[in-house]
Amino acid sequence: MRGSGPAIDTRPWLLLTPALLSIAALVVVPMSFILVYSFYENIDLAVDRVAFQFSNWRELLDDNYYHVAIWKTLRLSVIVTVLAAVLGYIPAYFIAMTKFRQRWLLLLLLILPFWVSFIIRTLSWIHILGNQGALNGLFQWLGLIDAPLSMMYSETTVIIGFLHVFLPYMILNVYVSLDGIDDNLEPAARTLGATPWQAFREVTLPLSLPGLAAGCLLVFVLTGGSYVTPLILGGPNDYLFGNLIHDAVVSELNWPMGATLSFTLLVLLGLVVVIYSRFMGLNQLSKAFR
Amino acid sequence: MSAWKLIRTYTILVYVFMFAPIAVVLLLAFNSSQFGGFPIEGFSLRWFYKLAENDAIVRAFKTSVTLGLMTALVSTTIGVLASLALVRYQFRGKDLVTTLLISPVLVPETVLAVGLLIFLRWLHMPRSFLLLLMGHSIVALPFVVLVVQARLVGIKKEYEEAARSLGASPVQTFFAVTLPLLMPAVFAGALFAFTISFDNITATIFWRPTGMETVPTQIFGMLRNSISPEINALGFVMIVVTVGVPLLAGGLARYFARKKT
Amino acid sequence: MKKMDSTKRYEILRERMGNGDVDRRTFVGLLGAAGITAGVSGGVMVGMAQEARAAGSTLNFEGWGGVVSEALRKNAFDPYEAATGNTVVDSTFGGETEVLTKIKAAGNTDGHNILHSSGVSWYQRWVDAGYGSELNEANIPNLANVMDAIIKPFRAITPNSLSAVPYDYGTTGIAYNTNYVSKEEAEALGANLLLKKELKGKIGGWADAANRAWYGALQSDQDPNNIQDWDAVWEKAREHRDLVLKYWNSGAELMDLLAKEEIYVTEAWSGRVAALQEQGHPIAYMDPKNGLAWMESMFVLKGSPMAEAEELLNFMLDPATSIAVAEGQKYPSSLDPNKVAMTDVIKALPAYDPTGTLQGLVFRDAVTWNPLEKEYTKAWNRVAKGG
Repeated sequence: MRGSGPAIDTRPWLLLTPALLSIAALVVVPMSFILVYSFYENIDLAVDRVAFQFSNWRELLDDNYYHVAIWKTLRLSVIVTVLAAVLGYIPAYFIAMTKFRQRWLLLLLLILPFWVSFIIRTLSWIHILGNQGALNGLFQWLGLIDAPLSMMYSETTVIIGFLHVFLPYMILNVYVSLDGIDDNLEPAARTLGATPWQAFREVTLPLSLPGLAAGCLLVFVLTGGSYVTPLILGGPNDYLFGNLIHDAVVSELNWPMGATLSFTLLVLLGLVVVIYSRFMGLNQLSKAFR
Repeated sequence: MSAWKLIRTYTILVYVFMFAPIAVVLLLAFNSSQFGGFPIEGFSLRWFYKLAENDAIVRAFKTSVTLGLMTALVSTTIGVLASLALVRYQFRGKDLVTTLLISPVLVPETVLAVGLLIFLRWLHMPRSFLLLLMGHSIVALPFVVLVVQARLVGIKKEYEEAARSLGASPVQTFFAVTLPLLMPAVFAGALFAFTISFDNITATIFWRPTGMETVPTQIFGMLRNSISPEINALGFVMIVVTVGVPLLAGGLARYFARKKT
Repeated sequence: MKKMDSTKRYEILRERMGNGDVDRRTFVGLLGAAGITAGVSGGVMVGMAQEARAAGSTLNFEGWGGVVSEALRKNAFDPYEAATGNTVVDSTFGGETEVLTKIKAAGNTDGHNILHSSGVSWYQRWVDAGYGSELNEANIPNLANVMDAIIKPFRAITPNSLSAVPYDYGTTGIAYNTNYVSKEEAEALGANLLLKKELKGKIGGWADAANRAWYGALQSDQDPNNIQDWDAVWEKAREHRDLVLKYWNSGAELMDLLAKEEIYVTEAWSGRVAALQEQGHPIAYMDPKNGLAWMESMFVLKGSPMAEAEELLNFMLDPATSIAVAEGQKYPSSLDPNKVAMTDVIKALPAYDPTGTLQGLVFRDAVTWNPLEKEYTKAWNRVAKGG
């Protein structure tokens, strides 16, 4: 393109100005205040002493309580992301490729669950998997079981809850990139002698990777930062790092520790984004060579 | 074409999974007892009557919709511009910019909310609707950026170059070529933004001015005592409105179009 | 060659734009329809309008919403607004920690006046943090009807003047499903019913730290207002944790768990059990020995317009209002039953004390509990997560 000379191109920065200004005012500055708090000392509930000391950071490094939570969070985020990718890719492919004319309806249906409040949606799994839930009712009616099965408040229900909330993000992201692929490419590959599976694998799948990657990133990051779902659907052992942050800030009113923990989470999830950004960069490069 | 059938069945199953909880909410809206599980004991419209009488939740609903639409507008505009820069231009520090744009979802909302309040105090500004709007827009921004970016990567630069070589200016090119191709992603992004705003609870609790309720904060407050099936009735009404009205409008439009010919 | 290629692409592109156009219209239609139906044009920015409308003073009330809010609106706020021309902005909170977080972040109490505050502990915390006010009791004649016994703990903290008026009380006792646990067994075991191994997976508990510590003290045979052996308390909490299906966080969860028989025994708020009983669920309620009683007050924050706040409190303490709220939330009123006639509904509430002396109830002693709160909250958060 013209103007790709050695001089610094100002156009991208113009386009980025509104976004970066908002981010600076609403995220970067507030989080700097929070960073300062991580060096303060919490004396009593909601009472902090202004200081510059590292006891909160030391506690984070020394205390196994936090390490277990980090491990649990990463593990669960990976599980949810993989399951969401597996569950979400095929429906996205179906929506993108279907000849069904009311495609927008399928998309709208995906968003629909969001119109019912998140809390109510999450609680409604109790109506399905609970002792007097729909599934137990159905099984008993069919005579498969005598007493209700206990299915609620386990890691499985937490995963189900997460999948239900995050799956639409995955599907829509994948769909959007699948939909952008030239419809003639796959048939073209077929005429060159590729089997449908080969055509998909060699043509469609690579081209849809940006969407899949964006979906995975969102699901991973959103799971990693949650705390409400395990609180509602989990048992005593189901918690994430976000729960520790919420406990520190809201129940212990210990902002310094809450700040320390938040920054830890921010850095961990930020690393994931950097990896994603690199991957997307590579992906664009490989496209240029095709 | 059995592979396609398999894909279709799979898709249907995923949709069933997505809709199971919604179906339950819709069914229980008609349940006569408050803690009714299954089997449903009695059919009743009483929760709808109670809902209609509940001014607070109706008001909260209006606030939520207004806020959601404005959030969609703001964050989609900002987000599309930023995505264009990220995908269409090469510049230094792109990784950092991407990370910054996605940062609102990386920061726990509780903490972001508190941090922003401390900043406001520093500026001597009270909490306001504008704060809530800007806050929601920023929380929704990553969703918009991600979805628009993924789509933009798929739109070949050659299309734009073709338009330029045919004599279109960059702005004309954007509106005549890029934007139409981008539309599905823009609407997906706007829909995301609306939804994120409409459903947000944690940050809203901290940012709203006193006395302003959105649907989630209203429901959150009601949870202390018990879940009223009124909330299920509200879910029912919202789904009927959001799906029914467009369907009806589409049907009418088609009906009149047919009449004309 | 290159040129032709581009032109062809442009044609393909135009075609696709046409397709895209359909999508766009539909989507615009969808969004527009949703917006119009919701009456955007009518009710924009409700909160702002409310603030602008206020000609007189504005009082911000924050409470739990739901039935309490409805009863207060109808019986106290509306009459008060009519009588004075002031405005009461009524909103819901998720708890006082939320309000304290906001006030602490903002550095002032702007936008917050009256809170439906829990317990003497929170009274002490607000006062200690410097947010207490000084009520002129002469402006609240209805305060004379409030039980002396329920005011006493507040006066102990601020001997010269009150910052709040006590409003209601209740207990956190034990609820059990009578189909699975007999009354005899429940009364014999008391607090230890929550540790019955045979009920593993059918036991619940309130996630609140102070409550877990209280019950740990009961289970390890200590005076909960004078705990000596905290290790024993947490040992009992761990024993309980290993049997628990679910720690609940809200009244909604508590009622759902009991009503759907997910759990058979749990600690429970008396008012919530009363609501379940009213709906015919086989749930019984008992206050074990030294079971926890608590009270709620209407706390006025420093910086509020005092005369207006006092007048509003007087409206709220009006017997008709107080009784309507009590019937709604199913917690007895703070008014002295010897001075104000209570309805049969209230007389039947669990935790109701007909003598007006509250002698049979044990409250948390804020003086011994508050200094330890940081420590025990932290300890419990770890025990809860398997520590």
